[in-house]
Amino acid sequence: MIIQLALLAGALSTFQGGAAAPDRPTPRQARTIAIDSRLAADAGLRVGDRVVLAASPGEPGDSAVVSAIVRRGADPAEIARSEYRVRLHLTQLQQLTGYGDRVDRFAVATRADSAIGPAMERINDAAFGFRAHRSRDIAVETSQTFAVVSRFHKAIGVITVFASAIFLLCIMLLKVEERRRDVAALRLMGISARTIVGSIVLEAAAIAVLGSIAGVGIGAAVSWFVNLHYRAVYRTPLSFSVLTGDTVVLAVGLSLVLGIVAGWLAARRLVRTPPLVLFGR
Amino acid sequence: MLFALAAASLIRHRARTLLAILGVAVSAAMLLDMVMLSSGMKESFRGLLLSQGFQLRLSPKGTLPFDTDATIARADSLVALLRASPEVARVSPVLGGQLHFPAGASAVTAAALGLEPAVQGDYELVQGRHASAGNELVANDALLRALGRRLGDTVRAAAGYDAQLRALAGARDFVIVGRVRFIYFAAGQAGASVPLATLRAMQGGAETDRISLAMVQLRPGVSVDAARAAFERRLPRVAVISTSAALEQVDQRLSYFRQLAVILGAVSLTVGFLLVTTLVTVSVNERVGEIAVMRAIGVRRWRIVAQIVVEAAAIMLVAAPLGLVLGLVTGRYLNSILARFPGLPERIDFFLFQPRAAWTALGLLALCGVLAGIYPAWRSASLPIAITLRQEAVG
Repeated sequence: MIIQLALLAGALSTFQGGAAAPDRPTPRQARTIAIDSRLAADAGLRVGDRVVLAASPGEPGDSAVVSAIVRRGADPAEIARSEYRVRLHLTQLQQLTGYGDRVDRFAVATRADSAIGPAMERINDAAFGFRAHRSRDIAVETSQTFAVVSRFHKAIGVITVFASAIFLLCIMLLKVEERRRDVAALRLMGISARTIVGSIVLEAAAIAVLGSIAGVGIGAAVSWFVNLHYRAVYRTPLSFSVLTGDTVVLAVGLSLVLGIVAGWLAARRLVRTPPLVLFGR
Repeated sequence: MLFALAAASLIRHRARTLLAILGVAVSAAMLLDMVMLSSGMKESFRGLLLSQGFQLRLSPKGTLPFDTDATIARADSLVALLRASPEVARVSPVLGGQLHFPAGASAVTAAALGLEPAVQGDYELVQGRHASAGNELVANDALLRALGRRLGDTVRAAAGYDAQLRALAGARDFVIVGRVRFIYFAAGQAGASVPLATLRAMQGGAETDRISLAMVQLRPGVSVDAARAAFERRLPRVAVISTSAALEQVDQRLSYFRQLAVILGAVSLTVGFLLVTTLVTVSVNERVGEIAVMRAIGVRRWRIVAQIVVEAAAIMLVAAPLGLVLGLVTGRYLNSILARFPGLPERIDFFLFQPRAAWTALGLLALCGVLAGIYPAWRSASLPIAITLRQEAVG
């Protein structure tokens, strides 16, 4: 079996997998590699299996032993990428790909956070042809995709809230309109317009709260399903939808405000109409 | 008569009709946006890939074009083999890299493409001419702005740094001979193109005849799938990607947006349907007496049903054009958000307006309007006349 891999160095490698042959002596000790769990599952590889790695199809390559199977990290930047990942010893990859004494990047750990700035300055002063960046800045840069998706979601959310507000206003208007005769009778009995508006607004608020509770339940179920579905699609432990307390408070609050405003507008319209007109006389 | 009665009924409840139209318009806008999103991205990408007439792309095995820094070794023989194939009309080899332009103590870095100008399909010439000599380059507006240079100016550029010598490696002077627009570059991405041989020489390395990608245009009448399969058999070192295969890959990577479009589109349609159904049901319930009188004086049942369905359809049809305009405006806004995806080609549109999309949205809405009106209309027209009239009279 031959599998193509895009390695971290950007070079291409082929991967010939097969069961280990422990009884056959090897000319020299094979290097060890770690493979990701998706590759292990798809290629049927296990720890201890021997594989052959080559930079291009058809090249003799170099044999290696699978020493570890690693779980794919929850990295949003890799979410839509379907390549397999193999971790090799640096010198092995350099040799395999003809990369020479070169690396793509260094990761430097400082002794304390306060040392990051001075260390970067010293490196950038001394370096030629490369630059040191803070990990935090790189994280911001690589998460640009998700910042864009987040802005898109917010815009869709605003449109949805607008549509919901109109829908709610319509429903409340109809609900209140259904009570024309009740309201007319109450007005003729001497109940004040303020009391009638108050009772309708209370009713609207109760409907909004009950609707919100049902909505939170549906939202939680949808969120669970979304995570289940996309974790399976992208084979990642990432959470795609998170229902937080803030989100619940915002949704319930918004729904309550919209419900009360819609109920108040509809009730005010009704109490301003003369009772006999409401009776249809 | 039928239309006059329906219009009178809608006008009698102005506020309700207006809100219904507004609600359906917002649903229609959302629906149109989602229909545009579900197909637009793919169509836009297809248009981009086919814009220069290349149907096949050859990249290093296991990768998509420019997805990694991997290159195809011994590329000259591969390109020669392709050009000798009877089914091939044109082959454009492409080498990707970077060019560094010294600017005082620092340098401006731009994406660079090594191309054969006579057959290239990576840029459109806006002004000037193609770079054909070793000391010529063409640049896009973003790079010219960053460098503060114009056509005819000379700039110094290098393909890399020599850390030990603390100098630019392989630096040379170039005359800017053309202003171009790169087809596959992201918005604002600085870029330049030089002849393929020049970029190879500047990059150096042990193997100099490398390319990142080869784009292949087939002769008219040649089957793309058959040619792809044949090249894949003959060239095991490379991946041969047809436009449809590339679209599948893109579709897979951006499946989230397609699924989101389907879900939100379905929600919009349901909301619009529920809104019209609720309004028509309430409206019919208010008029059961009126409907019973009409039935009593001999108006046929189907005519009453038709009147109510016309009312529902009228709400949908008045709201639909409003929704389409609203949808185009919001679609453009949402597209401007998604256009900021890092590395996304400038010409890709997530929300691409296609008349088919508009007709689909309109058709679905009209269908919903009719369906929303049928049930309450049929129910009210089927009420027993005498009992209904008595109940209405007693109150």
